[in-house]
Amino acid sequence: MLAITLSSAARRLWHFLIDRVREVQVRRARYWELHASSREPEARGLTLLREWLSPEQRAQFDAERYFDVIGCHSGKRYRIRYGTSANVDELDDAGVPRMGWCFVPNAYLVAGDVMLAQKIALETNERAALAVANRFPRSLPSAPAFTVVRSRGF
Amino acid sequence: MAIQIVMDRTGDTRHEFDAEDIKAVAAAERRFNELMLAGFTAASRTASGDTMVTRTFDPAAEETLFYPRLVGG
Repeated sequence: MLAITLSSAARRLWHFLIDRVREVQVRRARYWELHASSREPEARGLTLLREWLSPEQRAQFDAERYFDVIGCHSGKRYRIRYGTSANVDELDDAGVPRMGWCFVPNAYLVAGDVMLAQKIALETNERAALAVANRFPRSLPSAPAFTVVRSRGF
Repeated sequence: MAIQIVMDRTGDTRHEFDAEDIKAVAAAERRFNELMLAGFTAASRTASGDTMVTRTFDPAAEETLFYPRLVGG
């Protein structure tokens, strides 16, 4: 009974921690974007990005802080989130991120510029972009197996 | 006026030139070739709004965007 209670508590703690990590990631991205308007290079980057987004992408970016692009070779959908690295997700048919891709310009650029370069690369030469990119699994690690340890009787 | 936009750490640097001015067009072509040699990618937009990558200087392009070479992050 005690073991089951402990296992359940550990699982709840695991989910709690995952939720907090996600919260921190979202808050950090929003903080940087909110303060971008007061930093000139970041603001210029966002202005340039908005100029080059399609009307649909612009509306999505304004509402969600990310926009989707279609890879020109595979027809796959990618989501580019506000950021400068590890911010491209490959989506499955249900729109769920399955794989993360990381490819960035080889010089320091602000977030808007990085996102625009990623968009153009995926829309015009997807294979070349992915050929240089590093990929990583997007789903968080599954909960660890909580094994029930039975105490030995004395 | 045509424009070349080069991404950099300031956000971007914009170079406007008169497509009717032979000297200005020559300078724009020189800049285009220098950026290509430095590994930049040049992109422009079609009338329908689609983005296309270009490898040769087009004096008729109204807007050309340059971004540095992409590498794995």
